[in-house]
Amino acid sequence: MSKQTYVGKNIPKLDAREKATGQAIYAADLQLPGMLYGKIVRCWDHAHARVLKLDLAEAARVPGVIKVLGPQDVTRKTYNTGVLDLMVPGEIGQLLGDVEDQHIFTEHVRHQGDAICGIIAESEEIAELAAEKVKVLYEPLPVYLSAEESAKPDAFQFDERKPGNRAFQLPEAMFPDNSYGWGDVDVEMAKADLIVEETFYVPKVKQCQMEAHAYVAHYDQTGRLNCWTSTQMPKCVQPKLARLFELSISRVNLVSTTIGGGFGARLGMVFEPETCAMAMAVPGRPVKVQSSREEDWVASESRHPGKYKIKLGVKKDGTPVALDAHFTSNAGAYFTHASGTAFTTGSWLSGMYKIGALRYKGDTYYTNQAPSGAFRGYGNPQTNFALEQIVDQVCKKLKIDPVEWRKKWHKGEGDDGWCIGVPYSSCALDECLDRGAEAIGWKEKRAKYANQSGTKRRGIGVGVMNHTSGAMPMLLEHTTCTIKMNEDMSVVITLSCSDLGQGSHTVLKQIAADSLGISMDEIHILVNMDAAGFDIGSHASRTTYVGGGAVLKACEDVKRQLIERAAIRLEIPEGELKIKDQQVLSRKNPEKRLSVKEICHTGVYNFTDPQTGKTNGVPGQIQGYASHFPSHNSPPFGACFAEVEVDTETGEVQVLELVIAHDIGRAINPMAVEGQLEGGAHQALGMTLTEETCYDEAGLCRNNSFTDYKLFGPVDMPKITCILVEQPDPIAPLGMKSVGEAGPVNPVGATANAISHALGIMFTAAPITPEKILRAING
Amino acid sequence: MKTKMITLCVNGKDHRFEAPVNRTLLQALRDDLRLTETKYGCGTGECGGCTVLVDGKDSICSCLTLAVEAEGRHITTVGGMTRNGELHPIQVAFIEEGAIQCGYCTPGMIMKTASILANNPTPSEEEIRTGLEGNICRCTGYEKIVQAVQRASQMLDTSQNQKTGGLGT
Repeated sequence: MSKQTYVGKNIPKLDAREKATGQAIYAADLQLPGMLYGKIVRCWDHAHARVLKLDLAEAARVPGVIKVLGPQDVTRKTYNTGVLDLMVPGEIGQLLGDVEDQHIFTEHVRHQGDAICGIIAESEEIAELAAEKVKVLYEPLPVYLSAEESAKPDAFQFDERKPGNRAFQLPEAMFPDNSYGWGDVDVEMAKADLIVEETFYVPKVKQCQMEAHAYVAHYDQTGRLNCWTSTQMPKCVQPKLARLFELSISRVNLVSTTIGGGFGARLGMVFEPETCAMAMAVPGRPVKVQSSREEDWVASESRHPGKYKIKLGVKKDGTPVALDAHFTSNAGAYFTHASGTAFTTGSWLSGMYKIGALRYKGDTYYTNQAPSGAFRGYGNPQTNFALEQIVDQVCKKLKIDPVEWRKKWHKGEGDDGWCIGVPYSSCALDECLDRGAEAIGWKEKRAKYANQSGTKRRGIGVGVMNHTSGAMPMLLEHTTCTIKMNEDMSVVITLSCSDLGQGSHTVLKQIAADSLGISMDEIHILVNMDAAGFDIGSHASRTTYVGGGAVLKACEDVKRQLIERAAIRLEIPEGELKIKDQQVLSRKNPEKRLSVKEICHTGVYNFTDPQTGKTNGVPGQIQGYASHFPSHNSPPFGACFAEVEVDTETGEVQVLELVIAHDIGRAINPMAVEGQLEGGAHQALGMTLTEETCYDEAGLCRNNSFTDYKLFGPVDMPKITCILVEQPDPIAPLGMKSVGEAGPVNPVGATANAISHALGIMFTAAPITPEKILRAING
Repeated sequence: MKTKMITLCVNGKDHRFEAPVNRTLLQALRDDLRLTETKYGCGTGECGGCTVLVDGKDSICSCLTLAVEAEGRHITTVGGMTRNGELHPIQVAFIEEGAIQCGYCTPGMIMKTASILANNPTPSEEEIRTGLEGNICRCTGYEKIVQAVQRASQMLDTSQNQKTGGLGT
């Protein structure tokens, strides 16, 4: 049962066939008997206003409207769409100061797109027609679009619990001086021969998952609230909905539909509260809510934008003596992930280089933009844009090769990891840097592009990164897994891990098939929230690492039971038995054996002899179980190299090539790993060069569409070479490390550095648009 | 809203029903015919998620086309690509090249690919990338999708040499 047949192979995704034939069911595809349609009515004309009067009478009179719901017609309990409350111990949560500040329907509009009421109708069209009949009288309030504006002493106060509109800063009780790091930064900085200081700006970028948020909810006749959702975190949304609607968890049934892209957009709750509130108002009738793309854009969360002040002091030889950084981010209208992102942005910073002393401050302010939240990488792309560029500035001034500097000063095995106090278990960054540099022709191109004067100038840049595999020990890491052996030895694995499309269920099945020594075709993965135990959800690049750990442990439990039973049947001590080729056999005398199939069959079809009272073998169906809490986070590292060509007349940047060398530990499915790196690069290039959600002075979104918000298209994408560096991590199950969240991180720094190399000008504000480039060139 | 009795030919089968004249082809497919394989991504023709094939050759955004306009045309959705349970080579290529992640753009991507290859059976990489410009994928970075189109082109080229036949009508 241990022959490696699937691990390491390019197995096509399990769900690829149903997706290629259009059979996969996404939430919006559901049609349930008696289904109604819900429309969340949003405020489109104001970013900050009080609802003085809400007149729903005319909307209610539209034929086909079943019910109209104002703020007073639904629960007034507040909530936070984020899930940090479930991920940290209560006392830490108190210290972090997370607040529940969101309402299902609000009387205080805090951003364009805030939900003010709901309409339930016989059809989507009728619901939309009725929404136009809702009459609202608003009192406009002052609009704040940046932390600087909302932090002013005379600014409107968003929340009395958060004076000065500061939603979060690192808490003094945990971090003296509201900062973390090590050493005395002021003392060490004074010893520096060179100090480079910059303030960077990172933009508000949108996940742009292709499936706009859609749900079905049904408060059924048994008193259960059912919600069909493509959430990344079903086992967090379930208790959050239970709490909001004051139901026990067993009365909330979450059905995971196919996820049309996640990237953090479905981390925690999105519009489940509004949808469920509408369903609760019409017991017995399912209600479907389909968001438009524009709604999705203005009302759901994005990456945290903000200002990143960073100061790096080095000796003449490049020795980094001190790093002082402060990330002030824009939380948007609600708290959501104000504490989490501010925190981790510093983690990736502190986890990267061996610096004499480091101080990081992170704080977050309310504004009237759409709430910020989770987006793949969770603070890491922001850090990458600032840190990797400041390092290159130091290298430029000291005439040190940026690759050599990074090889010398990056943290590695045994060094304090991104979580101070937890050392890195492994690091293959040197090999990533060496192989990446070789593949792109670093030395030759770096020299060749050093002095150019033509219209089109080329540049080459490098960016490195560290990330994590799961969020242990900062956040709860827990996945349960049950493996049921059917009587014919086929297997059902029950778990609640989400597959966002990255292929995690495929990978988990590969791992199980090899561990159990059976064909993947004989394994079914059941994702059912009633049947499955807990799983924190798909975030923090954890599903293969933690989910895979849980699957392996449950497989071990199965194998332990098989050996236990064979020992009884064969009358051989357990220690003498092993499992091979679907047989349990004696190590001493391999003739003494029992097939796994026979044990599984006998476990189910077990009869007692009426004469002797004896059973035929050992009764009981075999089920393996694991409730897995990983002991580490086996962090992946990576090196990305970018080559660009900048047109100095138009300011346009063409990314010619990316080489991405990733420290994967062990690639369970190399094709899927590449898919994560390539797709991540697409998002990174967008953040670096083209993507930003923009607002006008009134706080109204100017580009909530794919025409006005520029994503990299197939023509814009460069040639990408992925190098999977496989140095198995000693702690990780199968030696594997994560990749998903790492994808959009270091192409950011590499591309920015390549532009700087081409032009000799560093750009501190992303996205680096042609306008900014021309302005910089022309002075 | 004024309605009109129309006949839509989808995947070789005629469907006769009464449609409001402002009904888009996407709505008609998804809501009236319950053929949900064609996806809503933006409703404004910007993402290509709702791409269907018309008369075996042209691709259109079904969200920008009125159902009444599609009368008399042969519409192919990804649900019509499979023949007698056999996957179409384009579907095989997408599966095997790892071109599918979340899968939401896939039905539109496959129909766009069918159109690209129907008009140009052996496109260059550049032609493929240009051809896919109207279809957004947020998962793959397009790398493996481009590879899948190249592979499909080769597979179809081989099978076309053995037999002739149109796409999906």
